[in-house]
Amino acid sequence: MARLVSLAVGGAAAVLVLYPIFFLLQASLSVGDPQARPPEAYGLDNFADLPRYGHIFANTVTVAVAATVMAVLFGFIMGWILSRTNVPGRAALEQLMALPYYVTPLMGALAWSLIGSPSGGFLNQLWRALGGDGHLIDVTTPYGIAWVMALFEGSVAFVMIGAVMKSMDPALEEASQVLGAGRLRTMLRITLPLVLPGVLGAAIFVFAEMLGSFSAALVLGLPNRFYVVTTAMYQLVSQYPPQFPRAAAMGVSLFAVMFAMVYVYRRVVSRGNYVTITGKAFRPRVMSVGRLRWPLLAVGAAYLGVAVVLPIVALLYASIQRLATAFPKAGNFTLENYRTALSLDAVRSALWNSLLLGVGTASLGVLIMGFLAWMIYRSRLPGVGVIEYVLMFPQAVPRLVFAFGMLWAWLIFPIPIYGTLWLLLIAYLTVFLPLGLRTISGVILQIDRSLEESAQMCGASWSYRLRTVTMPLLRPGLIAAWLLLFIASVRELGASILLMGPHSKVITPAIVESWFSTSTELTAAMALLQTLAVAVALVLLFTVARRAIQHPGEGA
Amino acid sequence: MSAPVVGSGRKASIEVRDLVVRYGKVAAVRGVSFTVAAGEHLTLLGPSGCGKTTTLRAIAGLEQPESGEIRIDGSPVFSSSPRVQVPPEKRGLSMVFQSYAIWPHMTVFDNVAYGLRVRKLPAAEIAERVRGALELVQMGDLAARSASKLSGGQQQRVALARAFVFSPSVLLFDEPLSNLDAKLRAEMRLEIKELQRRLDITSVYVTHDLEEALAISDRIVVMRDGVIEQMGTPNEIYDLPRNTFVADFVGSANLIRGRHRPDLERDGLVVLETAAGDIVHGTAFGRRVGPEALLSIRTVHVRLSRARPAGALNVWPATVRRRVFQGDFTQYHVDWSGRSLVIREVATDPVAEGETVFLVVEPRHCVLLED
Repeated sequence: MARLVSLAVGGAAAVLVLYPIFFLLQASLSVGDPQARPPEAYGLDNFADLPRYGHIFANTVTVAVAATVMAVLFGFIMGWILSRTNVPGRAALEQLMALPYYVTPLMGALAWSLIGSPSGGFLNQLWRALGGDGHLIDVTTPYGIAWVMALFEGSVAFVMIGAVMKSMDPALEEASQVLGAGRLRTMLRITLPLVLPGVLGAAIFVFAEMLGSFSAALVLGLPNRFYVVTTAMYQLVSQYPPQFPRAAAMGVSLFAVMFAMVYVYRRVVSRGNYVTITGKAFRPRVMSVGRLRWPLLAVGAAYLGVAVVLPIVALLYASIQRLATAFPKAGNFTLENYRTALSLDAVRSALWNSLLLGVGTASLGVLIMGFLAWMIYRSRLPGVGVIEYVLMFPQAVPRLVFAFGMLWAWLIFPIPIYGTLWLLLIAYLTVFLPLGLRTISGVILQIDRSLEESAQMCGASWSYRLRTVTMPLLRPGLIAAWLLLFIASVRELGASILLMGPHSKVITPAIVESWFSTSTELTAAMALLQTLAVAVALVLLFTVARRAIQHPGEGA
Repeated sequence: MSAPVVGSGRKASIEVRDLVVRYGKVAAVRGVSFTVAAGEHLTLLGPSGCGKTTTLRAIAGLEQPESGEIRIDGSPVFSSSPRVQVPPEKRGLSMVFQSYAIWPHMTVFDNVAYGLRVRKLPAAEIAERVRGALELVQMGDLAARSASKLSGGQQQRVALARAFVFSPSVLLFDEPLSNLDAKLRAEMRLEIKELQRRLDITSVYVTHDLEEALAISDRIVVMRDGVIEQMGTPNEIYDLPRNTFVADFVGSANLIRGRHRPDLERDGLVVLETAAGDIVHGTAFGRRVGPEALLSIRTVHVRLSRARPAGALNVWPATVRRRVFQGDFTQYHVDWSGRSLVIREVATDPVAEGETVFLVVEPRHCVLLED
């Protein structure tokens, strides 16, 4: 019985993932009237047509490669400084390294546009005021876009590379030194080869993410008609008449490349990290860097400065001005933007919708994904391997591409959910499956199987065990997953921008719309309000979560 | 579905027949058969990967065997034909896990009370039984403590109390002492033996530790590579190993190979001639002797003597090559006609390295092996 239910839920989730992908493939093969559903005729013309967009693919690769190189560099340097040197304040800095992830590429792009757009960017205004010519930096170039993307992906690279550096047994290096190798030789012959697979894995993962990234390229590139694959797809779909099949073909090619990258990533990670990852927690050996620790601290602080402090300050500064300019002028300051943002019905309802969806996605998601994770990693049912594979699919598909498949899929769905919040809820639950599963499975795998087995040996039935042992032990993981899903949903752009209806707006696409159609200052205010709303929700939840995590069971 | 009931304390017998358990393509257990009589304490002994834990988990119901049959008190709980697979929670067994598997989110009391609550006993009786069980494992005053704040030894005791509190018909132990330090292990070994006798319960115990097995079992099953190598009482296993594997695994032994010399035999002894030409008298214990045979001599059964003992069989001159003082005993590595033997003796009058001595072994301690 439990078996049937499990497989039914797993199967349903798999369908949720595969259904849109099917429609994406179908659309990419449609060669008749581009508006016709289902397609009038099938063929490969859309793919044959892709070379026409060669420059877009070239743009995408340029931006992704540049961003990957920078992000991995940031991640490597920060990982080394924070896990292997005795820089003062390492523990605090490490906590702060999560912040760029929360700032999001969209906020970063808006802020860096304020700072570094060629004509009106604050930094360039300063440059000209100091007698410079033209502009000092230009974030609307491919490398500028890559820079912004890399700043925020850097914290992801840091987490991955830092973990490898930390999980390395210090005895491996000590052995080298005891055998007479110097510090440099040890670094080159032992440390580097050991962390290299981890760094390579991180690079591939980051590159796949960069290929599918959307928001920075949209905000910084669209005004200049600089397109990458995702923004080109968005353009093809939102223009009139929309070019669905062509966009679908682009999406399928991107999907194929990313799929290959994720495959390679898994191979590298599963094969390469032989000795460094033993599952044991080591106290990593910290290198004394002497006088260098102050410059290194400055490097770490500088990264956080450009990725977190500068963007927020820039947005804040712009949001309290009538007309954003680098130089403060009496009379230019105002709180009008906030008043407008809060009074606009569209913004208010979008923010409300987003929070509502966030709570809904997180709550439902934890329930469903918790069950799925338990089933995949614990139940030993036949076929769970396949289900896991399918559920992790969305990881390899940019959310925009995925949403494109859903657009088609749910338009023909007999129950009219298109254009409602329900569609967004389904979309979020689908695209965030890998996120939720990974978070929850991390905790499940930490819980020794014998804890459940001993309940079984005491005679407890399946449901009794779940209630008294499994669920209470999983609680910290479930809370963490809830928080992550909530944050991710409220800030989601790629899927929402395609799927939201005129009466079901959500906040992030609304911010982008405002950026393109109203004032910069108002947009800055909106972006900060969104961040504030998420932050308040987080602080609230974190206090609750911390209590629950530190004292498991004492409330029960 | 009805809730399991508290056992009546009735001992159950276990029969395992032709058990085969596979993990994917690897057969962990390859046709194992044995029985445990009601009230008997049986130990599955063997090196890691020999299939002992898998066998135990199959009895518990935590592994699904491929074929064979397992009966508890005569009624099948697993059978490949006709298909029977009773879930673990309905088998009326209990188990102590290697990792203890103490639930960290509960108190000591809640951990022990779990099986009783599953069986829906009245609260007063639960309190009474838990108190009794905790006292039996000397944890009476820690009932209210959070289980996450226990030492390894304390967790072990809670795990024991939790396992027997609801009077299961069989108690299974999966290497329960392997995570404890040596001193605590010796202490707990005695306590478990004491507990087994006091509860008067059928038990199956898994370990790779010989001393543990010898100390607590009525009968030992020695396993290797998924099959049984030998079954018998602790004395039989120790004194009469069946083959080289058992002889070697169950305490250290010297193996002596030689050609069978029936012409020299008398008094029912077996006589072998080694390659170096030494004559060794051994005992066959009813085993068949081939033209080439092996004798096993425990390291503690060889005596070192400075003077040649008069009239004894099996006396050979040898040279002490290395002497290793080990506290309770002294280990000698001696050269005997170009071969090396290991001897353990309680060190009263230690022999120096390089000294020539006589080795003396009684023929009954030279045990003929089957292979």
